Amino acid sequence: MEERQKKELEQIRKKLKKLLVTNLSLADIKPEDIKDDEILFEEGLGLDSLDAVEIVVLLQRNFGLEVKDMDQGKKIFFSVDTLTQYIYENTKKPSKK
Amino acid sequence: MNISGIGIIFTHGRGINKYDEALRQGWRKPSLIELPSVPNKQFPLYPVEEKTITDKGISGKTRRADKFSKMAVLAAMDALQDSDLKIDKKKFSLGIIVASAFGPHVTTFRFLDDILDYGEANVSPTLFSHSVHNAAASYIASVLDSQGPTITCTQFSLSFQQALILSKAWLHEGRCEYVLVGSVDECGTVMEYICSQKLKMAHDGKIKPFTFSARPWAVPGEGSVFFLVSRDKALKKYCQIEEITLGCQAIKEEDIDITILDADGIAGDESQYRNSLPTNAYIAGYAPIFGSMMTGSSFQCAAGALMIKNQIRYACPVQDNPYNVNICKVTKQAKMKKIQCIRYNCLNEKAVIMLQQ
Repeated sequence: MEERQKKELEQIRKKLKKLLVTNLSLADIKPEDIKDDEILFEEGLGLDSLDAVEIVVLLQRNFGLEVKDMDQGKKIFFSVDTLTQYIYENTKKPSKK
Repeated sequence: MNISGIGIIFTHGRGINKYDEALRQGWRKPSLIELPSVPNKQFPLYPVEEKTITDKGISGKTRRADKFSKMAVLAAMDALQDSDLKIDKKKFSLGIIVASAFGPHVTTFRFLDDILDYGEANVSPTLFSHSVHNAAASYIASVLDSQGPTITCTQFSLSFQQALILSKAWLHEGRCEYVLVGSVDECGTVMEYICSQKLKMAHDGKIKPFTFSARPWAVPGEGSVFFLVSRDKALKKYCQIEEITLGCQAIKEEDIDITILDADGIAGDESQYRNSLPTNAYIAGYAPIFGSMMTGSSFQCAAGALMIKNQIRYACPVQDNPYNVNICKVTKQAKMKKIQCIRYNCLNEKAVIMLQQ
């Protein structure tokens, strides 16, 4: 993986963790406490269906991304890593030839 | 109906013992805040601190709750706990009535701001669900696992009195055995701005309940008070609410030990209170402890209930007394059988809550 790509992914991850803590009112959790590959729902971080709706709103507001298909959403919302990958792939600028 | 438990959240802390302590201690300076829309000017405020509404025991169930709902939930929980009523007794027989003048307006304005900032399609549904008046009542029912009737009453400055009348009706018709009835109001940036522009803010930090002024001094406050009430005399821990009247019915003043005036500067002209002064009984007003609030009568009632329970007369926290009325000047033990709490709304309609031993 390119160094630049790694940096961009890390930036998204950091921003995403902060947004999750703020927007989902996770008062007892610090952004750095959330592991990159930690499962977000149920037995993992303990998020629920209302949080899933908040994540949809969060992606729209902050990254301009829409998640309409909930089957696709289940895979995307699995962990911070999967969310980061989705954001990276759908917001990266086309490379100049 | 009898008061069996009281829970309270106010600027000086949480719990009925904290309130008793504050009433004994007397007036304390309010916080001073600067409004973003009125720079370089400070306004007095009695806010409820974040730490007061932090309770790890219920943080899971109230994770998404805003300050408005959290204050109501904690006060309601504390009222139930104070009553010693067993959990298994209350599930289907407990009614919940929340009184509020303005509801969760801080969240309502946040939701409206989000529509302006992000458009209708990008607003949070969770925020919307918390922006409605009934949010706090729902949280209380959910946290207490209550399946009894639950409602929110709002009638500007007489919301609490209306809630009491309704709880009396519910108990009378057997709709439930116990009612958690109380009030909650919040003071956010919008309300602070409105108060700063429309009311005469007390820059010395003192609400003066006995000046009976057409332009009285105000210091906005916020908080929540809940009472567990029932018809069960065995559960009476404080006193009974003998009567709630709206209108101008005559009161037999010879029986009354103290008349508490809920004059706090929030509803404008207070000259009408002079017409309600008894000739013999003591006069009191405790708004300088918790601040100016449309639902301040609930706090005044809590003070009255404490006075009857503890057979004590609290000194008025601010004693400016230009008309030389018979105010309580010193806190001391005294026989307390009957206390009335009077509130006038901005249309000069009078409401009286009568507490009796």
